Amino acid sequence: MRGMLRVAALACAVTIAIQTTGSTGHASVQDPLVALEAALQAAPDDIKAGNDYRMAVIKASQYDRAIAFFEKLTTAHPGASNAHLNYGFAYVDKIPAAGAITQVILANNALGEFTKSLDLKKSWIAYYTRGNSYLFWPRIFDRTQRGIDDLTEALKIQQAEPKRAIHARVYVALGDGYWKIGKLAEATRFWKEGLAAFPDHAGLQGRLSTEGDAQQKLIEANYDPAKRVDTSLADLWSTR
Amino acid sequence: MRIAALVLASFLVSAAPGFEDVTKTSGITHVHRNRKFENKYANIMAGYTALGASAAVADYDGDGYDDLFVTDSAVGGRNRLYRNKGNFTFADVTPGSGIDSGNDAANASADSMWFDYNNDGRPDLFIPRFGRSQLFKNLGGGKFSNVSKAAKVDTFANAITAVAFDYDRDGDLDLFVGSYFQPVNLFDPETPRFFPESFETANNGGGLTAYRNNGDGTFTDATEKLGLRLSGWTLDLGHADANNDGVEDLYVAADFGTDRFFLGNKDGTFTDLTEKAIGIDTKKGMNVDWGDFDNDGLLDIYVTNITDDYMREGNFLWKNNGNLTFTDVSRETGTFDTGWGWGARFFDYDNDGWLDLYVTNGWVSAGKENYVPDIFEMIVKPNIDLADARNWPPMGDKSLSGYQKKKLFHNERGQVFTDQAPKYGVDSIKDGRGVAVADFDNDGRLDMYVANANGEPYLYRNTLEGIGSWTEFVLVGIKSNKGAVGAQVRITAGGRTQLRFVDGGNGFASQGSARIHAGIGTATTIEKVEIRWPSGERQTFENIPANRIMRVTEGRTAPEPLKPGGSSR
Repeated sequence: MRGMLRVAALACAVTIAIQTTGSTGHASVQDPLVALEAALQAAPDDIKAGNDYRMAVIKASQYDRAIAFFEKLTTAHPGASNAHLNYGFAYVDKIPAAGAITQVILANNALGEFTKSLDLKKSWIAYYTRGNSYLFWPRIFDRTQRGIDDLTEALKIQQAEPKRAIHARVYVALGDGYWKIGKLAEATRFWKEGLAAFPDHAGLQGRLSTEGDAQQKLIEANYDPAKRVDTSLADLWSTR
Repeated sequence: MRIAALVLASFLVSAAPGFEDVTKTSGITHVHRNRKFENKYANIMAGYTALGASAAVADYDGDGYDDLFVTDSAVGGRNRLYRNKGNFTFADVTPGSGIDSGNDAANASADSMWFDYNNDGRPDLFIPRFGRSQLFKNLGGGKFSNVSKAAKVDTFANAITAVAFDYDRDGDLDLFVGSYFQPVNLFDPETPRFFPESFETANNGGGLTAYRNNGDGTFTDATEKLGLRLSGWTLDLGHADANNDGVEDLYVAADFGTDRFFLGNKDGTFTDLTEKAIGIDTKKGMNVDWGDFDNDGLLDIYVTNITDDYMREGNFLWKNNGNLTFTDVSRETGTFDTGWGWGARFFDYDNDGWLDLYVTNGWVSAGKENYVPDIFEMIVKPNIDLADARNWPPMGDKSLSGYQKKKLFHNERGQVFTDQAPKYGVDSIKDGRGVAVADFDNDGRLDMYVANANGEPYLYRNTLEGIGSWTEFVLVGIKSNKGAVGAQVRITAGGRTQLRFVDGGNGFASQGSARIHAGIGTATTIEKVEIRWPSGERQTFENIPANRIMRVTEGRTAPEPLKPGGSSR
């Protein structure tokens, strides 16, 4: 109850501050992002609040605002692992709206934040996120093996936990990582392991039911920087 | 027996009709060499100035055969004029012509363009240079005179491209020069801050200069007055009449930032319609060519950008919507990915009545090590000052988007393009820059000269057999500029109408023939030819026989067959 009051008070303070910025500011009293920002300021390590905020930012296409907000938030709360994680995702969310070079800068900044998050707390989501993001880098940057290493750690963590639907993603990504470095047998092994655990997973089914050019097309479509990556973490608190 | 069969099979393959590489037998011995800088930024600049391999086509001596001018960029390197002898051999007529002084310690040739600036019917030659550009007056008899200073076009700039057209419709050709770097002395820079300040929104480039032709052999800088002041890193300019209103419009392709589209107004000014027409982009525009690829009577635009594993910008194929907006259909048509693209040209190589497309590519093909990680290591440094050359990593012998295969896109009835370059052996992996298209042997099949950076060129003779009929027109302006630059020709044959126009130097580092060419498939007669001259005058001719080169003079009652041979000027 006390926490809720703090959030409400902060939201009120932010609203007043924004009202005084005048009509040229991008925010307004109707701005749905204001309350979400206030909620995050009240609970910076709240991964769900960060996720809700980012999803609203994507709808409003206010990527720079989110990046600036998370920068301030993580400066004020440097120990908030999940704030750094969402900060990283805020960079990723902007990638489809950016030019080719800026995409690289954003992706690199995202990696930096994912690493900070991981340094603070070695969680499944942090390992999976950073590992998966390494897979988006072209081969020339030689980052795929680092991705495989992170995903292997994520796999170890999830194998010690009760099975959840989101865990299927690690099998997909691990297989993709091995596929990217040309180890097709390893890739297939992880996809098959994943499918055994999650028989209805379309991504795993697709990879195992194709080969050659069709398989390449399917996998590469997943790592196209021009396409928006689904960065919603809603599956994390899914009951499945 | 098996060996004999294999030898025979290999002979049959190499003799298959298509494009024959005739460089060695043509007499063209020119090899382009990049400029090597000798200053404290040399180890960085080498990678960013692998430019200057250009080719420009014109019938400079009026003998009915298109000739060729090519550039070098090294200190002391000679630009060369090759006279077409008509049988696919060329004579180097540079010595004594007065046009071989293109490169010295303070100037490097970057492009070349023929245009008849004094309207005497003889194509003159403009050479954009890093330094002071040159204009050579064609005196006739194979002699040229350097009139750069007298004509007032030798402004110090880092010029890289030029087009000429009559923007004010006063009957003479005006000159538009695009510059890459700002006007800093690249050979001895006074400041290290002359590199692009951003990879996507750089505004510290050379922009463009518009010179109005005064009609007395001089030009006046009219850039400001025309509304064309820019500060981008211009790599190419391309003009055409996008909305068929009789006034030429201008597309500016820029590296490190947005391309620009300018609408030509009837009062001789331009309006920047970029946002409405094409939107603001962050790509690396390299080439502009205009052509009606879908035969809908509207001229479309092809722009090359960078597409590689590490950067997937994709080219633009701007389909003209007819309302001064364009839609990029490069993905849908299969023309999106051509690597690190450079010069590209629309032309109908198989005379089927649809414009095909040849695209050159490749930046630096050097050692096995790749320069990409070095570049990206720099890019991700916080607050890096990209404008400062000292912050850029030296390139050494590393490659960057090198060894890329050229593309010959066959137009499948205006819907998609399929790459036929491997089939016809025109998929070389040299670092291509310009592609000049012309019918060098007057046989109705379009040939190609490909200028490669730091290397030998390719001269490809079109030997395709069993292809469509064709028609070619040499246009001569009377009220209009003599070269008829800007003239639109609508050719109706076999029930289809095709739009062609005379351009004044479109295409990166290249200029194709000024002749109108159209393939007409199985038709045997051209039912109708409608010419809209730059003066606004219109002429229509009917029932022109196919497979002939015709000469049309503005205002005269009938076309006449071109009779090649002998020099008329």
